Amino acid sequence: MKSNFNCDDIRELMPELAAGSGDPASEVKGSEIKGSEIKDSRIKAHLQSCATCSAELESFRRTLALLDEWKAPEPSPYFDVRMQAKLREEIAATKRPAGWLHWLRKPVFAVSLTVAVVAGVTLVETGHAPLSGPVAVEPGTAVGDLQALDKNHDLYSDFDVLDDLQVQSNVVANP
Amino acid sequence: MAMDRGLLAVSSASLAAEGGNSSSVLTDADIMLRVKAGDESAFSYLVQKYRRAMVHFMYRMAHSPAVAEDLAQEVFLRVYRSRENYEPTAKFTTWLYRIATNLAVNHIRDTRHERQGNMASLDEPDPETGRSLDVADVKPTTEEVIIQRERLAAIRGKVESLPERQKLAVLMHKYQQMDYKQIAEVLKLSESATKSLLFRAYESLREQLKEFV
Repeated sequence: MKSNFNCDDIRELMPELAAGSGDPASEVKGSEIKGSEIKDSRIKAHLQSCATCSAELESFRRTLALLDEWKAPEPSPYFDVRMQAKLREEIAATKRPAGWLHWLRKPVFAVSLTVAVVAGVTLVETGHAPLSGPVAVEPGTAVGDLQALDKNHDLYSDFDVLDDLQVQSNVVANP
Repeated sequence: MAMDRGLLAVSSASLAAEGGNSSSVLTDADIMLRVKAGDESAFSYLVQKYRRAMVHFMYRMAHSPAVAEDLAQEVFLRVYRSRENYEPTAKFTTWLYRIATNLAVNHIRDTRHERQGNMASLDEPDPETGRSLDVADVKPTTEEVIIQRERLAAIRGKVESLPERQKLAVLMHKYQQMDYKQIAEVLKLSESATKSLLFRAYESLREQLKEFV
C-alpha cells in the first residue's frame, strides 16, 4: 500500500475520482473512493496540497457532468412485442423439420460436396473420367468419321467373311 | 410452448419473486443456465432486465433509436442462439456486453458511409417515432435550444471521434456504470490497460469539450 500519492498516481485515478465510483480496482492501489466523497486521506491530502491536481480534478468533474447531458431513449412500447415476435420466429425456425438443403448448411457437407464437384470437373477436363460414356460426335466432321471407322472396324472385318461365304455359295450354285 | 403474449411479464414476476427469496443464490449466470436447459421464461426475464441497458448502449453506438432497438433485440437473439454453448466462466453481463460490442462495432463498420452522410441530421427527431430525444422537456427559448443542440452535437461528435476502444470504454464506464474489471473483460484487456485507456479517453474529451464546460 502506498504511503503517499504523487501527481502521476492521482492523474491515473482522475476518472474514478471525478465519477465518484467505488471502483474495487482503486482499492488495489490502496485508495478508497466511495460516492462523490473522497475518503482516502492520502488522496485528500495530495489534492489539498496540489493546486494543479485539484484544478484538473474539477475539470474532469465538469466534463463528466457535461457528458450526462447526452440522454438515451427508453425502449419503445413496441420493443417487447417485436422481441417476442422475433423470438417466436427463432424458435419456430429451430423446430421446423429441416429439408435436404439443411445438410448443405453444415460445413462438413458443404466442403465434401465442393470437393466432389471439383474432383468430378477435374476428371472430366483431363479426360480420365472412369465412368465417361460415349461422347456424341457430330457426323460429317473429320473426328466423327475417324471415330465411326474405328468403331465399325469389327463390323467391316465381318463383311470380308460374308463376302467369302457369298463367293463360295456362288461357286456351288453355278458349277 | 410458453411463448404467449404475457410471457415477459409472467416470467419476470416469477423469477423476480424467486430471486427475491434467494437473491444471494440466483445470479444472472444461474438464470442463463436455466435458459440453456430450455427454460424460455428465464430468457424473457433476462430480456426484461437488460433491455433498457442494451437499448441505451446501442443508441450511443448507432445514434438512432430505431436501429438501437433492432440491435438490442439482435443481441438477445444471439444470446438465445448461443444458449447451448453458454458456460458461466465470466459474469453474464460481461458475455452480454461482449456480444453487444461485437454487434455494434460490426454495424458501425457496415454503415460507416451512411452514417457520415447522416451526421448532420442527428439532432432531428427520429423519423420512425417522431421523438426528439436529447432536448430537455422544459420549454426553452429558441436560443437555448440552439445552444443545447450545439452542446449535444459536440458531445456526440467528440465521443464518436474517439478511437474505437476508447469510445467503448467511455460508454461502458460513463453510461453503463461498469467498473474497470468488467470493461477490461469485455474488451479483453488488462485492468491497468483499461485504466490507461479510460484516462486517455477522458483527457481527450476534457480537452476537446472545454469550451462547453
